[in-house]
Amino acid sequence: MANSANTNTVPKLYRSVIEDVINDVRDIFLDDGVDEQVLMELKTLWENKLMQSRAVDGFHSEEQQLLLQVQQQHQPQQQQHHHHHHHQQAQPQQTVPQQAQTQQVLIPASQQAAAPQVIVPDSKLIQHMNASNMSAAATAATLALPAGQLLQVVRAANGAQYIFQPQQSVVLQQQVIPQMQPGGVQAPVIQQVLAPLPGGISPQTGVIIQPQQILFTGNKTQVIPTTVAAPTPAQAQITATGQQQPQAQPAQQQAPLVLQVDGTGDTSSEEDEDEEEDYDDDEEEDKEKDGAEDGQVEEEPLNSEDDVSDEEGQELFDTENVVVCQYDKIHRSKNKWKFHLKDGIMNLNGRDYIFSKAIGDAEW
Amino acid sequence: MAYQLYRNTTLGNSLQESLDELIQSQQITPQLALQVLLQFDKAINSALAQRVRNRVNFRGSLNTYRFCDNVWTFVLNDVEFREVTELIKVDKVKIVACDGKRFF
Repeated sequence: MANSANTNTVPKLYRSVIEDVINDVRDIFLDDGVDEQVLMELKTLWENKLMQSRAVDGFHSEEQQLLLQVQQQHQPQQQQHHHHHHHQQAQPQQTVPQQAQTQQVLIPASQQAAAPQVIVPDSKLIQHMNASNMSAAATAATLALPAGQLLQVVRAANGAQYIFQPQQSVVLQQQVIPQMQPGGVQAPVIQQVLAPLPGGISPQTGVIIQPQQILFTGNKTQVIPTTVAAPTPAQAQITATGQQQPQAQPAQQQAPLVLQVDGTGDTSSEEDEDEEEDYDDDEEEDKEKDGAEDGQVEEEPLNSEDDVSDEEGQELFDTENVVVCQYDKIHRSKNKWKFHLKDGIMNLNGRDYIFSKAIGDAEW
Repeated sequence: MAYQLYRNTTLGNSLQESLDELIQSQQITPQLALQVLLQFDKAINSALAQRVRNRVNFRGSLNTYRFCDNVWTFVLNDVEFREVTELIKVDKVKIVACDGKRFF
């Protein structure tokens, strides 16, 4: 247990900070008229991200995971589950522990009382993606409001795709279908299946994860991913059970609106997330196609030539090792520097460490 | 007001991301998120000051140093961090340090 000293204290400290913050902001939330449920969601999101970052050894949020119905995504299972949910319409909060959890699939758990659902996007996915590939990783978060409004937020690590459509009386189900295989990461497919409530012919919105094309029609939505399956654009109801096959199924029907989000060539970082907006599809696609991608691609080689320093070598771990702290005393004698630091959090080689005091020497 | 220094840590970033998601889904307002972050600053500052009690030594070579607005920023290369229990080696590390004596 030699290594456990720091690994033991860090998670505990983080948990205690989380608890403190959540408790302290509870009053603020209530003052603002925000439901306690939202506070719990914040806590869950927070803990999940911590866990996914693997910088800390998480434990506490496993319970939260159960509440969030984290699932592993496999197509058949997804269909089943989806089907199941679709029929029930009131999704019970069950965890469906699928097989080994290499991926996370979030399925909104909704209570029948008017409770908004929040799906935690997978930063783990993002991380996975980033770690192995720059292939498009997408996480979708959807909120299904009991009133029937749908908010869909889709975030992709690289190419953010975002479709937002308020619907009436639509049951929203979202699934994240990451197709991550060991040793390789495929673009995850995020599917949103909207099953309008009986009697509604409401248009459906589909959210597609893949950096591929999103076919967005008034009535049907289709995804045309290169590697990921496209959900069949059913008209009403069947979308839930639509086939989600991992293989590319370019089922193109009418395509009045074609949304293209190019993830593979996208060099922007994961911070480049599209915000929730009402979409002007045509504009967006033109802009994205012409402006962002090309510009970035062209700039990249130029910039990299200018770079003299050996930045590349340190990218190995995909983290810049950072220490944030306070200094007590910084001393220099000729080119010999001495550092007296305190109260710091370090992220080294991807892991988090904490110190109350740090003393260092360096030569410049 | 405590240092906002610790927002760019795993803990702080995950909190900010979570808040961003809630904002996007319009479950909270940006103002509320800001309040949460301020509360986080207080909590993390006090937790570090009181609940952590360990020491680390390090040694390396200094690549760059900067002192601006009372904030030191160093970039060190080939650094070894040594704690009682373990040794951590990194090729490059960036250290950002605010004044520990006073908030100002």
